Amino acid sequence: MNEAPLLAFENVHKYFGETHVLKGIDLGVDEGELVVVIGPSGSGKSTLLRCANRLEEIQEGEIRLAGTPLTASDADVNRLRQRIGMVFQSFNLFPHKTAAGNVTLAPRKVRGIADEKAEERAETLLERVGLSDQRDSYPAELSGGQQQRVAIARALAMDPDVMLFDEVTSALDPELVGEVLGVMRDLAAEGMTMMVVTHEMGFAREVADRIVLMADGEIVETGEPERFFTDPETERAEQFLSKLL
Amino acid sequence: MSETGTGGPIASDETFRRLGMAAALVVALSVGAFLALLFLSGHVIPGRQLINYGLLAELAQPSSDYYGAYINILQVFLLTAVMSVICGVFVGLGRISKTPLTAGIARLYVEFFRGTPFLFQIMAIYYGVPAFFEPGTFPLTNFTWPAAIVALTLNHAAYSGEALRGGIESLPTGQMEAARSLGMSYVQAMRNVVLPQAWRNAVPAVGNDLIILVKDTSLLSVIAFPELISQFQYTYSQQFEAWAPLVLVGVFYLTITVPLSALVNYAGEVADPSRRAEP
Repeated sequence: MNEAPLLAFENVHKYFGETHVLKGIDLGVDEGELVVVIGPSGSGKSTLLRCANRLEEIQEGEIRLAGTPLTASDADVNRLRQRIGMVFQSFNLFPHKTAAGNVTLAPRKVRGIADEKAEERAETLLERVGLSDQRDSYPAELSGGQQQRVAIARALAMDPDVMLFDEVTSALDPELVGEVLGVMRDLAAEGMTMMVVTHEMGFAREVADRIVLMADGEIVETGEPERFFTDPETERAEQFLSKLL
Repeated sequence: MSETGTGGPIASDETFRRLGMAAALVVALSVGAFLALLFLSGHVIPGRQLINYGLLAELAQPSSDYYGAYINILQVFLLTAVMSVICGVFVGLGRISKTPLTAGIARLYVEFFRGTPFLFQIMAIYYGVPAFFEPGTFPLTNFTWPAAIVALTLNHAAYSGEALRGGIESLPTGQMEAARSLGMSYVQAMRNVVLPQAWRNAVPAVGNDLIILVKDTSLLSVIAFPELISQFQYTYSQQFEAWAPLVLVGVFYLTITVPLSALVNYAGEVADPSRRAEP
């Protein structure tokens, strides 16, 4: 028997006003799995990710983290969010804090971890994303790629069970994309559970355990990357893939 | 002839620059002439001394009541500056609240205190509040100071609140989202991420309001608060001399507002987040 997925979406419906943007999504992300969600813009993939962190509320269905329903009205959102790391397209680093300050803020304020301990941990995390020499730099002094790597370190500082990546390379200059994907590749290799919304098909094909194609608020097709990219089952997937070339 | 847009330019850039210089010169010369006439009137128009320098020297004595009035407005300014900014934070937070009740009440508050004259507000408090009591039962014997402090605080909290709301709303929503996604509560995210940045954006507007606050203390004269304008009125009624006390009062106000303005400019520069962009 299969174990329950770490992050489970069950019949998730989401409306923006009249617009039905998620139309009954069922999806499970297993522990240690890397799921890449692709699809044309407006397909709802970013919204799906944001719902998993309750940055957006859903109108129907349920999302569970390790069995705990996080969309319940009485869910302890702040506690659950600590277990879900989120990295944004626009980095959203805190501009008034240094790289280290960005990484230590939540552990210190939310977990009450002592400054020294938090600093040490930040040092380790910044080293892990290749930025140990930038700990005292402010975001405005860093390149986009560096900022995004700090953002990843910041999310990791809360020791999340799962990491969500929302088009994290879309705002980057092409030559900076690689360094961010490299960090994500390392994370995947270490067994981090990841849900990644991206347009980087090369990355998806190479590191994903499973590809999920969304279109018009629905999951059109899911599958192993090799099979999905070489031999898509649905016409919609074939159409989408043909437009990429 | 080249066409530079619909209708063409009103004046060339160079003409505009010269016109501006000429206008500034005219203003400067007029003011200079006025001040010269005022301060040197005895020499310019024989027998017509506008400033009674003897009286001015007397009023500027350390024992003069003007210093007491000056200290009074300094005290009421410092106190209400702190209180109105603190209250302004809550007004600003109320204005951006997603709870309709809170946002609505904050909105009404701001609309009322920005929408009615300060003179009306100070009178409503000073004369209106004691009217709620049976004659002779109002517990405060000296209501002038409390009324002054409450009125100035309520009025300027509305302005600081709006300044701070502007500062908060000019931040990308991603800041709040990033903070919340790390597990911070709304209050933690506000305190550690949003407000420190919003505050920097709001410094020029809040500073501007503090300068207006200094000048608004003059309106307290209508409730006989012992401040500079009341002091002027007293001197004038006794001596029928306008310019000696006027000069003194003007200088006193400027000794507060000019350094305050410099401080606000400095704070604005230090706080400007874009300065961080320069490595």
